[in-house]
Amino acid sequence: MTIQAASELLDTKTVASPTSFANFWNEFSKNKMAVVGLSMLLVMIVAALLSPILASHDIFTSEGITSADVYQAPSAEHWFGTDDAGKDVYSSFLYGAGVSLIVGFFAAFISIVIGGVIGIVSGFYGGRVEASLMRFTDVMMVIPDLPLMVVIIALTKPSLFNIILVIGLLGWTTTARIVRSQTLSVKSHKFVLRARAIGGGNPHIIRHHILPLVLPLMVVQAVLVISTAIINESTLSFLGLGDPTTASWGQMLYFAFQRGAMSAGATWALAVPGFGILWVVLGLTLFGQGLEQVLNPKLGSHHLMAGRPIVKSEAGKSADVLLDVQELSIHYIDNENKAPARAVEKVSFTLKEGELIGLVGESGCGKTTLMLGLLRLLPEAGQIVGGHVYFAGNDLMAMSESQIADVRWKDISIVFQGAMNALNPVRTVGDQIAEAIIKHIPEFPKENINARVLQLLDLVGINAQQKDNYPHEYSGGMRQRAMIAMALACNPRVIIADEPTTALDVMIQAQILELLDDLRKKLKLAIIFVTHDLGIVAEICDSVLVMYGGVTAEYANVDTIYNAPKHPYTQELLKAFPDLTIPEKKLTSIPGYPPKLNNLPAGCRFAPRCPLAFARCHTEQPALHSLKNGDLHLASCHLLEESK
Amino acid sequence: MITQKHILEVKNIKKHFQVGRPSIFGQDARRVHAVDGVNFHMYRGDVLALVGESGCGKTTLSMLLMGLEESTDGQIFFEGNDITRATRAERKRLSQRIQMVFQDPYESLNPTQSIEEIVSEPLVIHKLAKDPIERRLRVVNALEDSGLKPAADYLKRYPHELSGGQRQRVVIASALVLEPVLLVADEPVSMLDVSIRAEIINLLADLRRKRELTVIFITHDLGTVGYFADRVAVMYLGRIVEIGNTLDVLKNPKHPYTKALLSVIPVPNPRLRKKREILQGETPNPINIPTGCRFHPRCPVAIEACKISDPAFIEVERAHDAACLLLVK
Repeated sequence: MTIQAASELLDTKTVASPTSFANFWNEFSKNKMAVVGLSMLLVMIVAALLSPILASHDIFTSEGITSADVYQAPSAEHWFGTDDAGKDVYSSFLYGAGVSLIVGFFAAFISIVIGGVIGIVSGFYGGRVEASLMRFTDVMMVIPDLPLMVVIIALTKPSLFNIILVIGLLGWTTTARIVRSQTLSVKSHKFVLRARAIGGGNPHIIRHHILPLVLPLMVVQAVLVISTAIINESTLSFLGLGDPTTASWGQMLYFAFQRGAMSAGATWALAVPGFGILWVVLGLTLFGQGLEQVLNPKLGSHHLMAGRPIVKSEAGKSADVLLDVQELSIHYIDNENKAPARAVEKVSFTLKEGELIGLVGESGCGKTTLMLGLLRLLPEAGQIVGGHVYFAGNDLMAMSESQIADVRWKDISIVFQGAMNALNPVRTVGDQIAEAIIKHIPEFPKENINARVLQLLDLVGINAQQKDNYPHEYSGGMRQRAMIAMALACNPRVIIADEPTTALDVMIQAQILELLDDLRKKLKLAIIFVTHDLGIVAEICDSVLVMYGGVTAEYANVDTIYNAPKHPYTQELLKAFPDLTIPEKKLTSIPGYPPKLNNLPAGCRFAPRCPLAFARCHTEQPALHSLKNGDLHLASCHLLEESK
Repeated sequence: MITQKHILEVKNIKKHFQVGRPSIFGQDARRVHAVDGVNFHMYRGDVLALVGESGCGKTTLSMLLMGLEESTDGQIFFEGNDITRATRAERKRLSQRIQMVFQDPYESLNPTQSIEEIVSEPLVIHKLAKDPIERRLRVVNALEDSGLKPAADYLKRYPHELSGGQRQRVVIASALVLEPVLLVADEPVSMLDVSIRAEIINLLADLRRKRELTVIFITHDLGTVGYFADRVAVMYLGRIVEIGNTLDVLKNPKHPYTKALLSVIPVPNPRLRKKREILQGETPNPINIPTGCRFHPRCPVAIEACKISDPAFIEVERAHDAACLLLVK
């Protein structure tokens, strides 16, 4: 590339900072809470700015006011009546808005800056700096703000400036703590280490890597601190510690209260400034919470829920097959208007007693969805849109929720990936296994539970002495064994193992694979092994289902898959996988990436990456072809039809 | 003897972390022996794979090389100078010559920076290529060398818009933009899908040829080293137990730990299912290093002497060293 080309690039592409603000605004405008809050706030800000124009009376002079004007009820002349000094409440309200908002914004600014600096510095530098700053923060937090403010203001001259300063200087503690914990979490990210590795010093890292990620939180916090500051100012003024030369809402309340507005029946003199405080604080709170939802979308995440069955039961299935999955389809329907994500489409396979089937595919190919779908444990948006799953002759997809709850864990159980997160850290492993037994078999005799727990631990190779240890006292491999013991608690006949060895070291992985292989022989367990590791599949599986983009690419016994694969995807996947026995082999990657499930290609889902694709592949979905008479071998590829 | 030909020479490097505080009764605080006396050297253009399970010290070793941790003892000579005693300013200069690729491409990119900001950040820090055109040219070159073509399509994008493989390419580009001579790649493919893994390994192999990079390739997966590394060093509990040319180590391992490790690597061929040498238990805690040979409690062929004497590193074959008493003739 020449300098000229680069400068052209510079000209055409130097657009003002990218879409991030537009994105933010788009999300923001969709959030009702944030929009309502901001609008409420803007109304008040505009009113305050325009108060000289909007005000109907001059409240800074007592000229022409007689005693007859005191506590006048609302009228055409005085919309909100008059106060103790005969001044127009409506006009005072408008001026008061300005004072309250000024106090709120400046005090919040001071406390956000102090809290932000203390939070970032202590979170980033840690050690003694953090210890002393945080102890200081704790002390400041323990001291009740309001009495201290009262004392300080009483000792100094109660001017607007002093009030702002005191509220600002005392209100930073929560911000400091929140910012510190956010800084700690940002600091632990690898990109901070990377910045250090490229030679970045502390100031650089704070400016470019910590601040941009802490700032959104500080903005949200600022909004909330403004409302606290406004309340604090009103409280101080109400106690008679306000700046006597200004007319804040708190001052209005103070004078009305002191000078008998209640006994005079002049409720408007109290209600109007009270309404102003309520309006602004409510607006700020709504705005702050909405802003937090927009900036931190994780707050609104889904949780696991059982999907609803939509198919009716048909006939039972043949006897030696334990699990018979027939054309199961699962879609994610997030939004009625958007196209559904077709995560699993017409996937079929069977599982016999003692059989170990490998379910292989890249991330996002629908493996995990398929597994969760078998037990109807899909997230809310996941819907089973077709197919049957027969277990011992009964269709799991047609069962009632209570019926399938009875099948889960008792007949078919799951070993999840990442055993670290699946165990409760504050209960012993033995307790947790006992709980799994009691929860699913309530009638299990209490006196036998201990013996059963020990038996299960023995089965998975955990020492009896370690029964009463906590999960953190276990290593990663031991925890995975404990998870397997739990899955075995109710003597299931099928175990779904979802990437059970992914985070483990090779030696520990070998131990766990050996254990699973032993268990299936000893207990005649059928196992569905979900993995992306073709090596593991070759080592332990009997049959293999290769998934791609939610559909079956190829399904055959293990030897056929590795030695006579027919689907181009299987072939390419094998070429990309390292083989220790032939280190001189050249690894080839599959160009491109798996399709997005809500934007699938029109024809074969693998066509865009397939080296052998021809015209038909891009327009027509291939059917699943059976390739061997008698023996199992299915693959979905147009080439197989041509060659037949 | 330090020859000029060695671009890197690591001599008895140690990193011990203190756990807790020393007790008031004068006992020493407990120490984690994360790296406990590692020796190796590299020539310019070499690719050395550092292999081991978690807790073997390979990541701590990479931190020491990068100056992100301070060593407890020993020296690291880079281009003839001991860099363990480098000052902050020297360290900053060194970071132009030694760069790192991190394991997790999802974690190692700041989500608020655009790709251009990420890749040009090293230039900004080192105040290089201040002219905006020259700077962009270098960023574009680094991106295109890393396989993100045309680079113009990526400059204004953000990490979340890219796939895992593309992100790892961005991480590589940001390391290359300073034109380093030594690249430390810490598990660069372990978080990626199989089909993309091959792509990144092939990319690193190309770059090494094209840019004459010296590469330390840290991995837990012995299966991938054959495709990329000239030499392999196997680590166990803070030490190298075997080092040699890749094919020698893979086809004719000498140390019982290497043998066991090789036997449990899954082979993608069901006809080659074999007897696996599965070591029971787990790597001991690096706080209490076993006496004698540190591998003896798990070693399938350990003899009585292994409990007492710590085996020296000996050359078993030409350029193939291992530390095992059974290999002493």
